[in-house]
Amino acid sequence: MSAGAWLELIASGLIAGGVYALVALGLNLQYGLMRILDIAHGEFLMLGAFVTWAAHSSFGISPLAMVPVSFLLLMIVGIALHRLIFRRLTRTSATLDVFEARGLMACFGLMFLVQNFAQLLWGGDLRGYDFLAEPVAIGGAQFAANKLLLIAMALLFSAALIVVLRTTLLGKGVRALLQSPTGAQLVGIDTRRLHPLMFGVGLGLSGVAGCLLSMTEAISPSMGEPYTVTALIVITLGGFGSMAGALVGGLALGVIEAIGMHLTSPSLKSLLSYGIFIAVLLWRPNGLFVRK
Amino acid sequence: MTSRRTLIRAVTALPAALGLPGIVRAQGAPVRVGYAIARTGPWTGGAQVSQEPNYLLWAEQQNAAGGLSVKGSRRQIELVSSDDRSEVETCVRTYEKLMGSDKVDLVLAPWGSNANFAVAPLANRFGYPFLAPTALSRRLVEMKLPYFFLMLQQPKPMMDALVDLLTANGAKTMAVVYVDDLFGLENYAALKVAVQGSGISIVEDKSYPLGVKDLAPVLRSIKDKAPDAFVGLTYPPDTILVSRQSKEIGFNPKFFYASVGTAFQLYRNVMQAGAEGVLGMGSWNTKTSAGAKAYFDAHVKKFGAQKEPDRWASGACWASLEILTNAVAKVGLDRKAIRDYVAGTEHSTILGKIRFVGSENVGTPGSVGQWQKGEFEVVWPKAIATAPLVPAKPGWV
Amino acid sequence: MKRDLVLVLVLAAAALALPFVGSEFAVSLALTCLMYASLSSSWALFCGSTGYLSLATAAFFGLGAYSGALVLGQLPWLLVIVIGAAVAAVTAIVMGAAVLHLRGTYFAVLTFGMTELIRHAVTYWEKRVTGTVGRVLVDVPERETVYFTVLALTLLAIVVAIVVRRSRFGLAMAGIGADEQRAQTLGVDTRLVKIGGFAISAGFAGAIGAAMSVRWTYIDPATVFSPFIAFQTVLIALIGGAATLWGPLIAAVVFSLLAETLRLQLPHLYMMSLGMLLIVCVLYLPGGLASLRWPGRAAP
Repeated sequence: MSAGAWLELIASGLIAGGVYALVALGLNLQYGLMRILDIAHGEFLMLGAFVTWAAHSSFGISPLAMVPVSFLLLMIVGIALHRLIFRRLTRTSATLDVFEARGLMACFGLMFLVQNFAQLLWGGDLRGYDFLAEPVAIGGAQFAANKLLLIAMALLFSAALIVVLRTTLLGKGVRALLQSPTGAQLVGIDTRRLHPLMFGVGLGLSGVAGCLLSMTEAISPSMGEPYTVTALIVITLGGFGSMAGALVGGLALGVIEAIGMHLTSPSLKSLLSYGIFIAVLLWRPNGLFVRK
Repeated sequence: MTSRRTLIRAVTALPAALGLPGIVRAQGAPVRVGYAIARTGPWTGGAQVSQEPNYLLWAEQQNAAGGLSVKGSRRQIELVSSDDRSEVETCVRTYEKLMGSDKVDLVLAPWGSNANFAVAPLANRFGYPFLAPTALSRRLVEMKLPYFFLMLQQPKPMMDALVDLLTANGAKTMAVVYVDDLFGLENYAALKVAVQGSGISIVEDKSYPLGVKDLAPVLRSIKDKAPDAFVGLTYPPDTILVSRQSKEIGFNPKFFYASVGTAFQLYRNVMQAGAEGVLGMGSWNTKTSAGAKAYFDAHVKKFGAQKEPDRWASGACWASLEILTNAVAKVGLDRKAIRDYVAGTEHSTILGKIRFVGSENVGTPGSVGQWQKGEFEVVWPKAIATAPLVPAKPGWV
Repeated sequence: MKRDLVLVLVLAAAALALPFVGSEFAVSLALTCLMYASLSSSWALFCGSTGYLSLATAAFFGLGAYSGALVLGQLPWLLVIVIGAAVAAVTAIVMGAAVLHLRGTYFAVLTFGMTELIRHAVTYWEKRVTGTVGRVLVDVPERETVYFTVLALTLLAIVVAIVVRRSRFGLAMAGIGADEQRAQTLGVDTRLVKIGGFAISAGFAGAIGAAMSVRWTYIDPATVFSPFIAFQTVLIALIGGAATLWGPLIAAVVFSLLAETLRLQLPHLYMMSLGMLLIVCVLYLPGGLASLRWPGRAAP
């Protein structure tokens, strides 16, 4: 294969990886901060996609405009869910492990609830729309404009999150919580407000990913699950709680998958991802980037 | 004159009016026709385009004409249907209930090979003739179930037709992608047999799993090899995926073929002007026969212009209903007699002449369709073609 | 224990009589109830007591179905079922040995994607080795045979559950569920116990898979590895009360019947309410509905 084709391949891997990173960042925020393993994360991605599609096809609203809308919408949903479900769980769980297990179960129930809600509302048909699907030539390679938008936005949001975490006071509070929950609380960081907010931000990122994906992919109620699995793999690779790890891990996974698909066939893509997942779990359970 | 005509009309109307209660009584019990079909779940797209609308249209048409003709006397059709949720188990149970407990008069097929695999032996056991318009597999034919009839052309004739078309038009190299399940594998196997000795060489073949999201890397490496023909043995979502992604990356071979879904109106909706020149599995359109046009118009009238029948399985579905209607009109509701009639007669349908050897429809030849100016024309074989082939696909737009 | 066994015998007798007095549809319905009853009680056997949430039931069900289909016709029926169970159990042992020493959440996450992984692996192997995918099941046994097999498996699952709960093995699992580190310090080989429990529950899933698959005539990886059955099993067991014996059983029967009645009209509403019910249970009734009746049971 020519050098140009290789570059194209890697670039398309990065594009896919950008979405993985975005979803994984949200998941990481929730798990790293609050130990809530949101196994329903992909369902909120799906909601973001559907909402964007609905706005676009019923009201003609541009998906670009829906990007901040999906973020806000899903963030509000996240805050609400946290208040309704996880706050009580925090109070009634005896240990962190119990909380984790119950959180997982609650998210499992959420997954069922949201997916079937979408099925009820929108039916099982594949939906889609065309937005910015014209090809754009970059140095001999051709990409769809919306795919480029996807990676640009994904990187933008990821970068924004990381910057916020590093520079703002809010972000510093979150990082403190990530490092040491008790220590942070001792210093006066208000988990009661921070937790729901961050949970919301996590879901918001998922919603944005869904909104962006709706431009390039077919939308259906079951589209979210594969992204949940991939995001879980990414945060395992990158380390639970490490934002930079999730970003790099997501991009890396995308590239690995693309190259793997080229060398073998798409049928083996998930075999490959999963194989990496298990390997990392066994060899470095805390992630590849976390220094012990 | 007018008054005499009016008198004649009144006189002739009188016996009818007097006999009306008798006619109504003679109508008798409705003909109960049962089926399960996907209204939710992954099979919904296909089922709601190619199959259920036809069932509903058929019942409506027959009832509007007074009912289904059962050996001459008309009886209203009562459809007993439910959602199988794209689950084989639900399908099996529903048909068990329909045939075993409810004991309906007739059954219609569910959508897709998997469901038909499961229900065919059941229908056979209960003795209900079963005409399936959306099942495709050699294995189904090999099961040799006497009550089971497959309407669609099987992989061998379809792939032979495609290869014939390609060789006749000078294609020398081909790249194939195929879905990882029985449909993809059988068609791929048939394709490989068909290209042997044809002068076409396969330069790349890749398989992909059901529900794949991204085939761009594969398409890019295929583009690098610049084959004359691209053959996608794909399901509707993948058909759309390979089309869109080929457009994205600028992959534009002379012949672009994607199997299932190309014949759907949805394809034209999504690809718009880009659909021009794309080849796929299709075997009819309104030009095929007067009956075909009448069916198309009735379908669009009932379901709206946004819900055209598709140019492959929908036609097969309607043809199956035509066959069933004729069978019941001729031999009544004796299911064994219906079965014998279906198996032993040559049927005239909107698709042309259909007859069965075992479970397989050998009347309709393997065919290839192509989008030309907004209509999916049959371009191969010449005998049933509705338009000549446009020999090189224009660039994606 | 005696009361439990007597109750089981009574129910078994009723289930045994059904094919002779009930319609085909009633038998089908009972079959579904039995399937979920055995799946959820064997799931609860491991996951309820140890607290390790396994979402891999579909993987084991599918493996059992597939391996059963491979040998159907060549081996007697009972052996087919045993092979289905064995393949699933061995897979569980391998999987368990690899990851059960990690934490509960890792385990759950791993099992969540496991079904997809195994499905792709089976598809790949099929394509490479046999050149085709999916099996047509030709030598299908009588429907009554299938029913009685599933009934027998359910009874076996219940009996095993009763016996295990009172054995050292069962107590060890419960100990792991309560506080794994403490169990380890008390001398329990947690790794072996976990692998063993996981294998047992997988074995049952595999056996049921092998038995049920014959109803579909044609199986391919997409149908047998469908996560629907698995997820419903988990929901039923959790809502019923995974740590108890009767919780999952009663829930299985209730929800199978409910699913049947709601299936035709409001399938999504049914699934949504399952999800909702689980969330409510997790929030207010961590022990599941069974803890209403037996409040003393430990919650996972």
